[in-house]
Amino acid sequence: MIATLDSNRRWRRAFLIVGGIIAAYALLAPLTSLDAAVSANVPLLADRLWFRIATYIAMFIVMATGWNIIGGITGYAAFGNVAFFGIGAYTTGMLIAKAKWPFLAALPFAPVVAALFAALVGLPLLRLRGHYFAVASLGVGVAVGELVQNIDYGGQPLFGGASGLFLPIDSIANRGLFFFYLMVAAAAISIAVTWWVLRSRFGYGLIAIRENEEAAAVLGVNTTAYKVAAFALAAALTGLAGGIFSQWNVFINQDNAFPIEYNVQMILMALLGGTGTVFGPAAGAILLQLLIQFLGGTLPISFDLPFVSETARPIVAQIILGLLLVGVVIFVPRGVIDFFGGRSRLSLSYLRRSLRETSL
Amino acid sequence: MANFVQLVILGLLAGGVYVAVGVGFGLVWGVLNIVNLAHGGLVIVGGYITWQLFTALHLDPFLTLPVNAVALFVLGYALQRGVINRIIRAPLLFTFLLTFGLNLVIINILLLIFGSDFRSVTPTYSGQGLEFGSVVIPYVSLTSLGAALLLAAALAFILNRTRIGLAINAIAADRDAAQLVGIDLRHAYAVTFGLGAACAGVAGGLIAMIQAITPTAGEPYTLQAFVVVILGGLGRVSATVVGGLAFGLVEAFGQSIPGSGSVFANAIAFGLMVLVLVTRPQGLMGRLR
Repeated sequence: MIATLDSNRRWRRAFLIVGGIIAAYALLAPLTSLDAAVSANVPLLADRLWFRIATYIAMFIVMATGWNIIGGITGYAAFGNVAFFGIGAYTTGMLIAKAKWPFLAALPFAPVVAALFAALVGLPLLRLRGHYFAVASLGVGVAVGELVQNIDYGGQPLFGGASGLFLPIDSIANRGLFFFYLMVAAAAISIAVTWWVLRSRFGYGLIAIRENEEAAAVLGVNTTAYKVAAFALAAALTGLAGGIFSQWNVFINQDNAFPIEYNVQMILMALLGGTGTVFGPAAGAILLQLLIQFLGGTLPISFDLPFVSETARPIVAQIILGLLLVGVVIFVPRGVIDFFGGRSRLSLSYLRRSLRETSL
Repeated sequence: MANFVQLVILGLLAGGVYVAVGVGFGLVWGVLNIVNLAHGGLVIVGGYITWQLFTALHLDPFLTLPVNAVALFVLGYALQRGVINRIIRAPLLFTFLLTFGLNLVIINILLLIFGSDFRSVTPTYSGQGLEFGSVVIPYVSLTSLGAALLLAAALAFILNRTRIGLAINAIAADRDAAQLVGIDLRHAYAVTFGLGAACAGVAGGLIAMIQAITPTAGEPYTLQAFVVVILGGLGRVSATVVGGLAFGLVEAFGQSIPGSGSVFANAIAFGLMVLVLVTRPQGLMGRLR
């Protein structure tokens, strides 16, 4: 028993050290692209492409961590969180494009509007449980995107319509670097918020709701207020990522602000890393996003899939992703953090036990 | 007035497809407690079988429906037996993600085989219909409605009059008790999912006749099936029939709203669903349990 505890601690320490080194490299390497660094002959460690991928990864860290608050900690399987991403993106986008606000003044409104919307739809939706809540929230995600694209006001599309919304191009120096660090800051905020939630009275209330909602209510937890607050908090974080995305990408429309597949990706990330934990969703986001980019062939290090033509490649990548989803759900239901760093390390008996727990 | 009658008729006819899509989805949900996000993918597999048989062998599309049912039953049985049974006791999020992953695989395999071109099934009688004054009833829609009602009746017959159907009902009522009286759960679950998939296959054949299909054309039907089942009430085939017809009517009237009513199809459907869920959670025809 003591031996296993000891080895656990050693494993955990090893993971922390390796993770810390990788994180430090990822955060500092982009600085070598600054003009000052280039003129001082520091070797270029990260180019534009890496920025773009790293910014996407940070964006998904925010979304997966945000989802974890309602889905992982509170146990409400929200399937439409992309609505908050889109609302954040369109709030900032409208303020910049139509009201001519500067970006940094418009950004704080993205999480606020997203949270208000979440509170509004959360009041009826969070009365539903299980499948009903999941699909109703999925419906909200679909419907909001459709409304944003199609609402007309005085014959003019209010939010840019089907042709999307173009933002004025900002005059930020080193914009790739700027948005990378901004998105990383958002990721850090979301992780810090999760850390705080898990240590607060609020978080204990949410966990009580997840474990047994009636019992939580009997114990004096105001379940409605707690659930709506958790939903709004998740929405605020997701909306913040959307707000940053809108100015970073300069162009938003229904396809890139309300992509249905993000709904599932953020859940899969949280699940892959371990729901209900502080760092799990972030780890899952990094793993899955790298894998998606790798399969899609956008990473600099890549390979040719055997027997697959160039045109069929994205399709095969999707098939692999689907099979991976099936495999993760069946074999590692408690997430890879548990799988690698938890009680049992890489072992067949772990897979077998997971399978036995859930199968018929 | 004629316009109103035409809308009611068109709505009921369109409802036929929703009945077909809804009954299989409702069966799987009610008995296995799985919201099957791969339902739309299975529907489109059925659509492509009909299209393939129609194009290659010039079979009448309505005659391909039994082929769809058998093929999809086998596929559904294998999926449940081989994959879904392994996580049947896991929390609902897992079945959601699993069926979503299966859907992704199904759609992309179809993309590999058939490409993303629009395919349509157009038998010789496809543009024609019965005319009563200004009211027109297209033959294809009329026969589709008939086929959908027949499908629902067949499903109800299997569930209420056959040995395996009674076993499925017993499982829906109490799984542990069903196991105690000697029902083979794995087999019965697989048959249930197979029946649901067979219904999806028939629905796909009907859909291929009324719209051009692509591998991703099934997506909206998963969501609409959910709304239909909620609308009618979970647990009985007859309730889903009512839900499907009601959904067809709502859609027909929603699209007739002047100004771009049709682009809000999803918004209307989900608005309706949330309304029903919040005010009458047991559905229009459901009984409180």
